[in-house]
Amino acid sequence: MSTSVIFPAQPEQILKGLGKLWTSLAQEEKQQGKPTVLRACAMTLIVATDDPDGGYAASQTISELMREHPSRGIVIAVSPEAEHGLEARVLAQCWKPFGKAQQICCEQIEIIARPENWPNVGPTLIGIVAADLPVVFWCRHNAALSPLASRKQKAGLEAVMSLATKTIVDSKGEDAELRLDLLSTWRKLGRTVADLEWTRLTPWREPIANIFDNPCREIKFSSFRKVEIAHGGEKPGALALYAAGWLSAPHQADVSFTQAQGKDDGLHRITLRSDSEQIDFERTGDCMILRSTNGRSRRYTYKEASVDALMTEELSVVGPDAAFDSAFARAQELLND
Amino acid sequence: MSVLAQPLPEVNPLQDPLRFERRVPPCTIVIFGASGDLSKRKLLPALYRLFYERRIPPNFAVVGSSRTPMSDDQFRDRMKDSVAKFLEDAPFDEDIWTSFAQSLYYVPGDLNKPSSYDDVRNKLDQIEKDHQTGGNVLFYLSTQPSYYAEAVLALGEHRLNRGNGWRRVIIEKPFGHDLNSARKLNDEIHKVFDESEVYRIDHYLGKETVQNILAFRFGNGIFEPLWNRRYIDHVQITAAESIGVEGRGGYYQEAGALRDMIQNHLSQVMATIAMEPPTVFDADNVRDERAKLLRAVRVTKPEDVPKYAVAGQYGAAKIGGQDVPGFRQEPSVDPKAQTDTYAAVTFFIDNWRWADVPFYIRTGKRMPKRVTDIAIQFQAPPLGLFKQETKSGLREVRPNLLVLRIQPEEGISLRFLSKSPGSGMRVRPVSMDFNYGSSFGERTPTAYETLLLDAMAGDPTLYTRQDMVEASWQIVQPILDVWAHTTFTFPNYPAGTWGPKESDEMLARQGHVWRIP
Ligand SMILES: NC(=O)c1ccc[n+]([C@@H]2O[C@H](COP(=O)([O-])OP(=O)(O)OC[C@H]3O[C@@H](n4cnc5c(N)ncnc54)[C@H](OP(=O)(O)O)[C@@H]3O)[C@@H](O)[C@H]2O)c1
Repeated sequence: MSTSVIFPAQPEQILKGLGKLWTSLAQEEKQQGKPTVLRACAMTLIVATDDPDGGYAASQTISELMREHPSRGIVIAVSPEAEHGLEARVLAQCWKPFGKAQQICCEQIEIIARPENWPNVGPTLIGIVAADLPVVFWCRHNAALSPLASRKQKAGLEAVMSLATKTIVDSKGEDAELRLDLLSTWRKLGRTVADLEWTRLTPWREPIANIFDNPCREIKFSSFRKVEIAHGGEKPGALALYAAGWLSAPHQADVSFTQAQGKDDGLHRITLRSDSEQIDFERTGDCMILRSTNGRSRRYTYKEASVDALMTEELSVVGPDAAFDSAFARAQELLND
Repeated sequence: MSVLAQPLPEVNPLQDPLRFERRVPPCTIVIFGASGDLSKRKLLPALYRLFYERRIPPNFAVVGSSRTPMSDDQFRDRMKDSVAKFLEDAPFDEDIWTSFAQSLYYVPGDLNKPSSYDDVRNKLDQIEKDHQTGGNVLFYLSTQPSYYAEAVLALGEHRLNRGNGWRRVIIEKPFGHDLNSARKLNDEIHKVFDESEVYRIDHYLGKETVQNILAFRFGNGIFEPLWNRRYIDHVQITAAESIGVEGRGGYYQEAGALRDMIQNHLSQVMATIAMEPPTVFDADNVRDERAKLLRAVRVTKPEDVPKYAVAGQYGAAKIGGQDVPGFRQEPSVDPKAQTDTYAAVTFFIDNWRWADVPFYIRTGKRMPKRVTDIAIQFQAPPLGLFKQETKSGLREVRPNLLVLRIQPEEGISLRFLSKSPGSGMRVRPVSMDFNYGSSFGERTPTAYETLLLDAMAGDPTLYTRQDMVEASWQIVQPILDVWAHTTFTFPNYPAGTWGPKESDEMLARQGHVWRIP
C-alpha cells in the first residue's frame, strides 16, 4: 500500500499523504463492515542510510521491527542516484497477528535525498516525527559517521540527532578507538547513544552473569581480578573492548587482550582468573563452551544475532542503560591506558 | 547488648535486568490431574510456550500423574495433540516439541493409594539425577478440589514435601467452598507446607491487563489524585461469558457464579482497583495491601442481602436463530437446580478513600457477549453548562468514564465531552482509546505462563495468600448463606441478555444504571 511520490518532501505534504493513506485504509474497512485495521505507533524510528541499495535493507528491517515495536518508521536513503533533491513517499506496513482477525498497521515514510540535500533532512523531520513519543535514530549513514565526514555531512547528522531520544550506531568493523571517541563526544553533549556491538555482547553476558548468580558458588565474582579477552583482527574491536569494560568495571580488574590467530574479527574467548579458579568462555562455530578449573563444563548454542534481532533488543531499552554506561566508560579508560 | 553483623551476600554486578530475562532455577513440575482438562488446555501449552521462548532452563522436567494408565510416550503423544490445539496466539513447532517432549514423563497413580506417591518419588529421584534439577520440585494440584487436602497430607506422609532443593505447591481454584472449608484447607496444607511454599492460583491476577492496573494506577501521576470518593461516583466490574456451562454442568451446579467468579477473581480485581499503593513493589507489600483492602469491604448483613445481591439463572432462548437451552436443560444439571448462573453484588469499602462509593460486580453465563472490564464512573461537573447531544438522545449525567478492558480487545478508554462541530455550544461524549495491541508487540504471555514462571522463580506476588483468600470468603459468605435458604423463581433471565431485572433495580436504588459493555 503506497501513495505516489511526494516532491518536494515538505512536512505538510507528507502528513497529508499519511492522512490520505489512513483514509483509504478506513474506506477498505468500511466496505468490510467491521474494524479490520488498527493503527499502531509507540515511537518514531528514523533510519538514515547511504547503503547503495537505496534504503531497501533498512526498510526490510523496519518492517520486521514493527511487530515488536510499532512505530512511525522514517527511512532516509541518501543516494547520488536520487531523481529529485529530496522526495518522499508514504506507505503502511501491515500484518495480521497470529489468530487475530484485525490487521495492525504502522505508517512508514521513505525520504530519498541526494547527498547534497542530506543537511536539509533535519528540518523536514521536525515536522513529521510522531508527537510526544520517543524518537529513536538508527544511523547507518557511514559517510556521515566517518572521521573524514565533511562539515555538511556532520551538520546533517547533528540535525537528526538533535531530534532523537536515542541514537543507535553499529561499530562492527570500525576502528574502535576512533569510534569510541566519536561516541564519547556525543555522550558528553548529553546524547543517549547505543552501539549494536554492545548488543552483540548479550549472548556472552547472560551466561557469564548467570554463573555468579548461584548462591552456592564459593568463589565470588569479586575474586576474579584478571580478565583476558581473545579477539580476532590486529586490534581489539569495540565488541572486545566493551566485554573488557563490562567485566573489569565493577572491581577495576586487570585486563589483557590477546589476538586469536587465524580467526575472524570479533570476540573468541573470555577468561576470568582468580587465585584459585579460572573460567573460560570460548566460542567455536555455533557453540559456546564454558570451562572452569573447578571441573565444570557446559555447552551453549551460539547464533550470530541478525541485525533485526539486535535492533529489536535495542529498541526495548529506551531509557538509561547503566550497564552500557559503565562498560563504555571503562572501555575508554582501557584505551587510554 | 552486642549485635553480630551477618555479612551481606555479594550482589552480582553482572546481572542486567534491562536485557536478560529473569532466570528460573532448574526444577521438576509434578502435575496431579495430568489427563484432565486444565492440563490439556492451559498447563502444557503454557509450559511448551515457556520452553519455546527459552524462559525455562534446559534442565527442567514435567511429571504428569493421574489414574489413566499411560506410558511416557503415550502421555507425550496425547499432550502433543492438546498443545497443538490449544496453544494461544502462537504457532506450533514440531522440532521444538520434540526436544520439549524429552522432558515429559508420566506416572500412573491413584491419589488415594500410598503406592502412587512412592512411584512419584522414585521418578523424582531418577529425574533429579538425569536432569540435574537440584531436587527442586513444584507440585501442581490440578485435580478435583476434594483431593487437595488429602493429596497435600499424603505428600507430607511420603516426605515429598522436603528434599535436596525447594518444594512448592500450586493449588487450583476453588480454594474451599465456603469460609470454614477454606480455613480448614489452609490448616491442613500448613501441616505439610509453610505458607511461603503455598501458591494459590487465581489466574485473573496473572492476566497482563490485570497487572497493568497497578502500572496504570501507580506508574502515572495523574490518576491517583482522582482515585477516591471525592471524584469517583461508583465502579462497575463486569465479567460476562457468552457461552453456557459447556459440559461442566455438574461442577457448575455445585459452585454457581458467586463462588466461581466473585469470591475469587473479581474480588481480587476489586482489590487491585481499590488498594492503597504499596510502599515497595514486592510480594509481601502488594499482598498486604490487597488483603487490607479486602478486610475493609463491608460484610453484608443477612437482612441486607436482597438489597445488595442478586442471583440469576438463564432460561432457554433463541439466539441468532438457534435454540439455546436454559441452564436446567443442560446435561447433568438438575431440572430444578437453584444455581446462580448470574450474580451481581454491591460492595462498599469502609475506609477513608472509598466510604459510600458503590462497587458493583456482576458476572454471568450466556450473556450477550464475552467481556471483562472495569468501569470507573467519575462524578459529574458541578454545573452542566452545555447542551448535550448523544446517539440515543439521552443526556450523559456523568460524562467521564474510564474503562479498563481486561478481555477481549485489551486496553483503556476514557470518555469525555467534546464540542460538536458547527455553531452553538453543543457537546457530545467521545472516547479516547488505548489498545494494547497497537502499542506493544504481537503477543502477551497467557496468565498460566506468567504464573507458572513466577512459581518456579519463587515469586508469589500474583498468588493469593491465606489471609486474602479468607477475607474474600468473608465478604461473600453471608450472601451464600442467605441464598442457600432462598427458593428463587428461576430462570429469571433469557440466555443472551444482560441478566435479571432485579439487578437493574439494585443499581437504580442508588441512582445508577449498568453500562452496556
Ligand atoms: N478446566 C479449567 O479451565 C479450570 C479452570 C480453573 C480451575 N480449574 C480447576 O482445576 C482443577 C482441574 O480441573 P480440570 O478441568 O482439569 O478437571 P478434570 O478434567 O475433571 O480433571 C481431573 C483430573 O484429576 C484426575 N483424577 C481424578 N481422580 C483422581 C484420583 N483419584 N487419583 C488421581 N487422579 C485423579 C483425572 O484423571 P484420571 O481420571 O485419569 O485419574 C484428571 O486428570 C479443578 O480443581 C478445577 O476446579 C479448572
